[in-house]
Amino acid sequence: MNETYKKLVDLYAGNELPEDLVQEMEQAAETDPELKHDMTSLRKTVETLQNDDFNFNEESYQRVLMKLYAKGGHLQTQSPDPRHLQYQLPMSG
Amino acid sequence: MPSEGSNDSLQEKRWLTALNEGDPRALGGIYELYGERIFRYTFRMLGNRSDAEDITAETFLRVLRRSGELRADGAFRTWLFRIARNLCIDKMRQHKLMELPADAAYPGTEEKSTLRITVQQALSELPVEYREPLVLCDLEEMAAREAAEVLKISVPALKSRLYRGRRALRDKLGGTQE
Repeated sequence: MNETYKKLVDLYAGNELPEDLVQEMEQAAETDPELKHDMTSLRKTVETLQNDDFNFNEESYQRVLMKLYAKGGHLQTQSPDPRHLQYQLPMSG
Repeated sequence: MPSEGSNDSLQEKRWLTALNEGDPRALGGIYELYGERIFRYTFRMLGNRSDAEDITAETFLRVLRRSGELRADGAFRTWLFRIARNLCIDKMRQHKLMELPADAAYPGTEEKSTLRITVQQALSELPVEYREPLVLCDLEEMAAREAAEVLKISVPALKSRLYRGRRALRDKLGGTQE
């Protein structure tokens, strides 16, 4: 595959090509299995990254807050404290 | 209707002004606005939840320490990511010295977790110069110009690394991307 096609595939994978060029690329890929594989696999890679639904869980949110408090960064958040931090346990002994 | 981005920008301006005025709620507001994004970025860079928590906390401590100098001029988010990036690079240097393994485990459905771990492992194996643009542009969906500012490189250099990084990641993921 020549360098021009390689650059076009890079732009295709990131959805950076205008619609008319996308159609031309897809038509060219119909008769070129190597080009088709490059286009499909690279776009799938980008989609896999973009569809990542990683979330910041409650434990990490609170642990970061604790680390901030421990280093003197006292801050007030609008989110309610987790249940285990809302109630003081009775002192024993 | 204002976009989510412009809402974030208004919120950012509000909290930075409050921080300059010594409002004790301001750092909490900034943490709620950017905490998740900074954590996600540091986790993707380091592949380790505990380190990502440390770096996220340290990033917001830097905000507090520099609160007198911060201005709501639109460059705050870039500055914040740059701080997190520098801290990640320091942590990676420490790991290289100590040879600590990455820990990619975090909760989710089994199938999704497997895919995430595969993606995270593949990302962790990429050279940092490829990993950074992928995390900022494809995972964080940051515009090329802003990502280039965070990395202190030109936009063409960023795009070149991004395209090479995508190809390298595709090759690492192998059959899962067919």
